[in-house]
Amino acid sequence: MKTGYRQLARCRRGLLGLALMATGFAGSAMAAPTPPWLDDPFPSTYRPPAGPDLVIRRATVLDGSGHRLDDADILTHAGKIVSIGHQLHVPAGTREIDGRGRWVTPGVIDIHSHDGVYVLPLTDIDKEASDVAELSDPNAADTRVETAINPQDVAFSRALEHGVTTIQILPGSSPIFSGRSVVVHPIRVNTVAEMKLAGAPQGFKMACGEGPKEQDAEAHKGPTSRQGEVAFIRATFLDAQDYLRDWRAHAAGKGHAPKRDLKREALAGILAGDLHIHMHCYRADDMATMMSVAKEFGIRVTAFHHAVEAYKIPQLLKANGTCAAVWAGWWGYKMEAQDAIRANAALLDRDGVCVTMHSDSPSEGQRLNLEAARAAGAARRLGISVPPEQMIRWITSNPAKAMGLGDRLGTLAPGYDADIVLWSSEPFSVYSHADLVVIDGAAVFDRSRAPSEPVSDFELGRRAMQP
Amino acid sequence: MRCLRAAILVMALIAAASSAEAQSLAIIHAQAWTGQSAQPIDDATILVERGKIVSVVQHAPAPRDARVIDAAGHPVTAGLVNAATQLGLTEISSVRDTHDQAATGETVGAGFDVSLGLNANSELVSLARADGVTRALSFPNVSGQAPFSGLAAVIRLRGSDILDKARVALFVTIGGGAWPTHAGARSAQWQLLRAAFDDAKQPPPASPRPASREAQITALREVLSGHIPLAIVTHRESDIRQAIRLASDYTIHVVVVGGAEAWRAAPELAAAHIPVVLDPDANLPYTFDQLGNRQTNAVILAKAGVMIAFGLAGGRLEQNYNAGLALREGAGIAVSNGLPYLEALKAVTVNPIAVWRPGEAAGLIAAGQDADLVIWDGDPFEPTSNTTTIIVEGKPVLTDTRMDALARRYLPNAK
Repeated sequence: MKTGYRQLARCRRGLLGLALMATGFAGSAMAAPTPPWLDDPFPSTYRPPAGPDLVIRRATVLDGSGHRLDDADILTHAGKIVSIGHQLHVPAGTREIDGRGRWVTPGVIDIHSHDGVYVLPLTDIDKEASDVAELSDPNAADTRVETAINPQDVAFSRALEHGVTTIQILPGSSPIFSGRSVVVHPIRVNTVAEMKLAGAPQGFKMACGEGPKEQDAEAHKGPTSRQGEVAFIRATFLDAQDYLRDWRAHAAGKGHAPKRDLKREALAGILAGDLHIHMHCYRADDMATMMSVAKEFGIRVTAFHHAVEAYKIPQLLKANGTCAAVWAGWWGYKMEAQDAIRANAALLDRDGVCVTMHSDSPSEGQRLNLEAARAAGAARRLGISVPPEQMIRWITSNPAKAMGLGDRLGTLAPGYDADIVLWSSEPFSVYSHADLVVIDGAAVFDRSRAPSEPVSDFELGRRAMQP
Repeated sequence: MRCLRAAILVMALIAAASSAEAQSLAIIHAQAWTGQSAQPIDDATILVERGKIVSVVQHAPAPRDARVIDAAGHPVTAGLVNAATQLGLTEISSVRDTHDQAATGETVGAGFDVSLGLNANSELVSLARADGVTRALSFPNVSGQAPFSGLAAVIRLRGSDILDKARVALFVTIGGGAWPTHAGARSAQWQLLRAAFDDAKQPPPASPRPASREAQITALREVLSGHIPLAIVTHRESDIRQAIRLASDYTIHVVVVGGAEAWRAAPELAAAHIPVVLDPDANLPYTFDQLGNRQTNAVILAKAGVMIAFGLAGGRLEQNYNAGLALREGAGIAVSNGLPYLEALKAVTVNPIAVWRPGEAAGLIAAGQDADLVIWDGDPFEPTSNTTTIIVEGKPVLTDTRMDALARRYLPNAK
């Protein structure tokens, strides 16, 4: 059963974690206690939607990991992908879908979204007191964006209708330590817990460069320069090292547990490698500095987001095992975005850097496929050809990997979650529609059965918002 | 290195152009999307002389003395026209000292004329041109004298003087957002607008007015005389209906710009002959004025007989930073939502000309039209497609951008 698998997956991760801890505290006979940063007071209550097993017949399949299969079938069972091949034999009761002339890809993954906290329509309130991030302190390490998410944001259903099945929601980048992220499926529910993926590694958002210093200068608190930001990060991590040391001593049976402190324990979780850093940085030199800081503290930046100058330092990113989350289209609107090029993703990919497209906005979040197409188009202009089976990685398996979910999402292969999109045509065409969107084996959006009323409660009953 | 080769080719063509000004130019083997029929003319020869299209003939050989560009069967369209941008007026949105799109003082108001501040060297301009835009409207944002924004200009994306025509429309902004600087309420905005027109109708006073006031009155009179349209940037249905009423009460030409909820008043807009300039991509309720944003807006309006033109494409950022890419992609999105291809093509070529440069023979591939032409390596509405040759005023122009230069510099790293 589906839930059984999930439990197993969770156990496996838990066991792995325990094994790692055991090696860290060799000699301790007692099982180490769960560190406070791994506590989840907001556990997922997500249940995969119900539905029959599916087989999509004779479609062009891009598996998300670089392969293309023509005229292929794909079969799901109990929320998982069972097989991909030609003329598959399927059990009775399987829903048959004709994929002829259509394309199949993994569900699109958006690694950088503010859906649910940057909720449209924006109002005066958002100017002073937005839920995108907590601005009272440049260190908002104690915050979890999931405690602010409004599932009625219309951005969720728009994303889903455009083939997006998994979204990492990050807090905004005005605080240097911006807080914890959450990974969700954009399905129609009333609480964030019901969208939240169980067992996803915990992401943590940080920011460098223009964003935080401008916010701090405006608010008259916190660093107002790049060098100030870096000093602030180092000082904050130094302090968190004490907390981590105290915790580790306690875990080894020496002394009391340190007093709970939501900020310091989250930061200790980063230093312990349990919270993965997703860092907003534009300029190549900023990224290089941050990778040095990470090295100083024995940690790794999982991914730089908005990395518009990543194409200037591919080898450095590769050497540090750091991914780049980029746009194709956004450039120029601030100083640190002057050197953006549309072909960024294609050049990074050519160099073997783990690269993913990202949205950062509810409009871009509906057309990550077109963002990838833009990057490929720009590469074409430079004489570099990127076939669809490679482009699709930028919005499926690569973001999955960067989110620590590469063994479960983003690829169409047996055992993977059955998150699938059936496109009306080649998915990088502006004319292509997501005809069918499947999450965990269940059809959650079917374009041929468009709902007669809006998905979000916000839209319901408003005259100008009727379908 | 393909674009380097293209750049060298274009430079050669430009050199040839300057040495033989009157020489004709023939684009052969063109798949010509003329803007006049739903199907292209395959294997068309487009002959250009003195900045104008002379003829478009299928299977015709190029004249012996003409310079020849072989389109090799690729699509050729008229140069794209973006119907609402701030190209040439803004460079870095987070850097205030690069902004020239709004007069913040209280003296200029309706008289604010953006044509004096156009920057032909803007990187936004060269990128838009590389993406196939040869003309665009550059309009002002709301001034210190709400609801007035000022006078917009049409730019032509060529050399160092990009002004095509100044003072083509008087812009006002009506609706929610930033109330303290926008007269406090939409009723106040409409009242101020009507009062200004009423004032402008009065005979001039015995003693001369201050020059800045005179400039405002002049702008208003250009609208009242029917010389230029009043462009109303507005979204909510109630405001669109007010715009229709205003046009009728003052017998002036009105253009709705934005028009998120214009689809809700499509028959009335059609009856009043009010064109709508809209973002074909918008489908989110950005503000309470724009609850009705939807990608079928263009489809509903066109079906009702409203003249539509695409602008503001892709939203606040893209409308300027990707004034070409977001425009053509937006046209594709409109097609994918049911707008006939020809209507979408017209909405980014001939319709914006009809709205902002009425009477100008431009925007079509036909004899007598301005020779602003683009050769594409694929469907222009696809984001994977690129321009290969851009012709403005009958001459090939450079398509190289700063992005190209950066990409070329760092390409060796990509080995």
